[in-house]
Parts: sequence; C-alpha cells; structure tokens
Amino acid sequence: MKVDIRELGQFNHLASQGAERAARSLSQLTGVQMDVEVTDVSLVTENVLAETFTGKSFVGVELGLEGGLEGETVLAFERERALMLQDLLLEATGSSDELAQSSVTELGNIMIGGFIDGWANHLGEAINMTPPKYTEAVGPRILPDQAIEAAKTHGVFLFESKLEAMDVDLDFSIYMLPEYRQFVELLSGNEGNQIPVNRLSAFEDLAKEGAGNAAGQIGMMTGLDTDVDVSRLRFVPLKGVPRQVGDERFVGVVFELKGLPSGYLVVLFDEESAQTVASSMMPGDSSEEGIGTMTEGAIKELGNIMTSGFIDGWANVLGTSIEHTPPNFVHDMGSSIMSPVVGKLGKQQEYAFVIDSTIEIDGRQGRCDIYALPNERELARALSALPAQG
Amino acid sequence: MKRFETDAQPAGRRKIGIAEYAVVTDETLLVTSGLGSCLGIILYDPRNTVSGLIHVMLPTVDQARDSTPAKFVDTGIPLLVDEMEAAGADRSAMEARIVGGSEMIQFSSNGDSIGSRNIALAEQLLEEYGIPIVGSDVGGGHGRSIQFDPAAGELSIRTADEETRTL
Repeated sequence: MKVDIRELGQFNHLASQGAERAARSLSQLTGVQMDVEVTDVSLVTENVLAETFTGKSFVGVELGLEGGLEGETVLAFERERALMLQDLLLEATGSSDELAQSSVTELGNIMIGGFIDGWANHLGEAINMTPPKYTEAVGPRILPDQAIEAAKTHGVFLFESKLEAMDVDLDFSIYMLPEYRQFVELLSGNEGNQIPVNRLSAFEDLAKEGAGNAAGQIGMMTGLDTDVDVSRLRFVPLKGVPRQVGDERFVGVVFELKGLPSGYLVVLFDEESAQTVASSMMPGDSSEEGIGTMTEGAIKELGNIMTSGFIDGWANVLGTSIEHTPPNFVHDMGSSIMSPVVGKLGKQQEYAFVIDSTIEIDGRQGRCDIYALPNERELARALSALPAQG
Repeated sequence: MKRFETDAQPAGRRKIGIAEYAVVTDETLLVTSGLGSCLGIILYDPRNTVSGLIHVMLPTVDQARDSTPAKFVDTGIPLLVDEMEAAGADRSAMEARIVGGSEMIQFSSNGDSIGSRNIALAEQLLEEYGIPIVGSDVGGGHGRSIQFDPAAGELSIRTADEETRTL
C-alpha cells in the first residue's frame, strides 16, 4: 500500500477543520476561548500507542461509519481534562451532570462530523454516522480492538489535535483514529509523491534508533542517565510546527542537513537542562551565571555529536549520503527559533514530516527535544527508492 | 440533538498563527507569537477603529508550491488591506507597524536572509499603498511576540529576555 503525500495533507486539513469546529463549539459552550494549536497525523505502531495512552484514563466517543467510508472511528481525550471541561460546561450552563456528559459526546460528534463532512465532499459520496457511543477506559483499551490489532501488524493512523484555552489552564489533545484499511485506500492517490506505508514505519524505527544514539551520546558526554521518552514521526502543517514547540525559552542548536534528504535538525534544551548538561561536561565544579559562553560551547559540541548520531543510520539505510553544517547556536523563544526553519522549507512544501523525539535526562530532571524536518519530497524519493522488503 | 455551532468567538483576545490574519472592529486584542524571520504586520485605522494583523512567513508567492495568501508579504498585504476596507476602514487613514524579520540562524545557502527580504518587501509595498509605517521593530537576531491593543492604538513587543517595548 502506498500513501500519497498530497492526500495525507488533504486529510490533515480536514481533521484540522473538524478540530477548529470543535474548538469553536467549546468556546461557545463554556465561554472560555479555545484555539487549535496544531493537528498532526502519524502512522503509529503498537509501541507508540502504548506510550501515548498507557497510564492515563480516557473518555471516548465511538462512531460507526457507513457509506463512502466504513468502519469504527474513535475520538478520545484524557478523562481528567474531560472532567474539567464538564465543570466548565456545568458552570456555564448551570445544567446537570448528564447534560454535561452528553455535551462531551456532542463535542466528539461535532469534531468527527467536521472531518466526515469534509471527507464526504472530498470523495463525492455520502457517509453516514451511527449515533455516537460514550466510552471510558484506562490506557489503550479506549481504542477499538481492531485499531490495536492493526497497530500490531502494520500501524494505524493517529490524528492528534492539541487545543489550548486562552485564559485558563486547559490544554488537551483530541485523538482520532479512522479505521485503517479503508483509510489507506483513500490515501493511495495515483500521482504525485507516494511513499509505501511500510517504508514510513521503517523510517520511524530509524528515527527512534537515532534518538537512542543521541540519548546515548548525552549520557557519555555528561555522565547523566538518559532515556528516550517518546519519538514520533508526525505529519504536520509547517505553520503548526512553531506553535507545537511553544513560546518557552530554549537553548539549542540548529543544523542544516545536506544530501538526500536535505532538511533541518534542531536540538533544544530548556534553560535549566542546558545548564545542567553544560556543567556536567566541564571538569570539576565549573558553572556559570545564566547562559553564557561556557554553556554555548558545551551545547554546540554536544549538539554536533548528537546530530551525527541521530542521522547516522539514515544514510546507511537509505543508501545516500547526508552531511550537516556546523551548529548555529540559539537561545530564544522556541517558536521563533523554528520560524526561519519553516520559512526555508515553506517555499517548497506546505506540510512536513517532523521527527519529534524527547530525551529525558537524569530521571525526569531535564529534557532535550530533537526535531528533524527532512525535505518532504526528497524523503519520499529516498524511501520509495529502497528495495522492497518483507 | 442540538448542535452548538457558531462562527463567533468570544471577544477578548485573538491569537493569530503563522500564515493567518485577523481584522477586528472592536477592542479585541490581536496577538501573535514566535516572530523570528517571519513578519508581523499591523494595520490600524484609528478613525474607523478597524485593526488588522497578519503573520507572514515569506516574501513572495513566486515559485512557491503553496499559495495561501496570508503566508506571503506580496499577497498578504493586499489581502489585509482589502479585508480592512471591507470592514469599513479607509486606506488613507491606515497606519502600519511592522515587527520581526530577524536573522536568527545563519544558513549556509547564499542570498539575503528571509527576514531582511520580508522587511524590504513589506516596506516597499506599504509605500506603494501610501500607508505610512508609524512604528517598526525589525531585524536583529532575536525572536518577538506582539500584542496590539486597538483601544489604545498601541503595540507591545516582548522578547525572550522579557523585555517589553511599545510602539
């Protein structure tokens, strides 16, 4: 099965619209302004599903689809967040628990509805929804069995929309999983840049390995324990990338990748982690006030080594050669650091495959985020050129 | 089941993302963050109280594969001017403020940086439209977040150092 990148972009756009509609309804219902930060889609394996869902309680809305598209689609959000939403709804409407719960169901309905309407237009065929069913569960069990089965064998497509509230602390994600088989069929256009689905997951494994190498290198240079927390290959509208990184202040390095694929790699530490890492790399008890030349030197050196480790496997597996430029040191708002990167890519593409890996340092004391943004078409070309595999 | 749907957002503050814009005729604060090489352009007609903010990413739509108008300076400014006029603004009463266009990263590829080209083109187009630039905070090597307050006609700019200035 092959995936057409343009189709993937189209579906991401439809999912974003669904999320926007859901956000508007929420604003209306609660009186709290909600915005969609970003909507991304990734092909995830069983492991990533587990990382994403395990240990959290969810409420979900399940819908059956009939017509142009068939199968179970599920929408889930964290229970704790859903309860906060319900409280806001109760406050705003003075209504009963029952009504608040049905409002959450209704919200799911609007969100999926937005997606399905767009979908039906796109297909030129009617799609009917069965009435939504409200569910609650802990961990991945919130998902339909067939989604978990599919994740085991070939992966499932997971849409994630991050919503944020303007004046209250109520950021949350809405997850949506369309039924796999039909969705892949829809994604297989017959022109443009196509990537075989299994290569996409092979590349995701490669990225995960790269994150492991980079974590190992932080460990070696600092003597601190490190561990890859999450690593995902997301398909995101480029303009959503800076928002995904956020306005917090980061210390890090930006590299340009040259070869096939070309692209950009960004390594970011929060300020405290940058200082911890830098002082661990120095002999004795060296440390400095704030982020100065010592931290800059250390982060550049570490970033260089991490980047080599991160992309090391790519060239081997893809059978190409990839080089990276010397590090560009950055210390600024995360979103503005990403702005020139998406600007550079934005001439050529509207969406990006973003490898987003988080490394935990010294338990949960510190963290480092790696974002790799390969040129979309070059990545598709390199992956498609790979010999067939089992 | 009743559908709770509307296009209206509660008044207060409007967040504008990259390649997005907003035009308001009330006192809604217009905010955008993460201006690196991107440019934030604010048009304000104090006489008719119409305010607009656009967050553009690149100078020209030429050779780009994606033609979202709000993504580019050369399509974004005409779009914002049109939308302002549609909302009751008068071009001759408009004033502009531009923020951003910094050079955060030295890329190896040659040519001027995106930031400086964004600034140059915005200045040129605004001049062609006869809209005076009454305030600008552009260039440099740092990021900026901005908030425009239509009630006061004031733009506040924040950098990562928590420094704030007003235009």
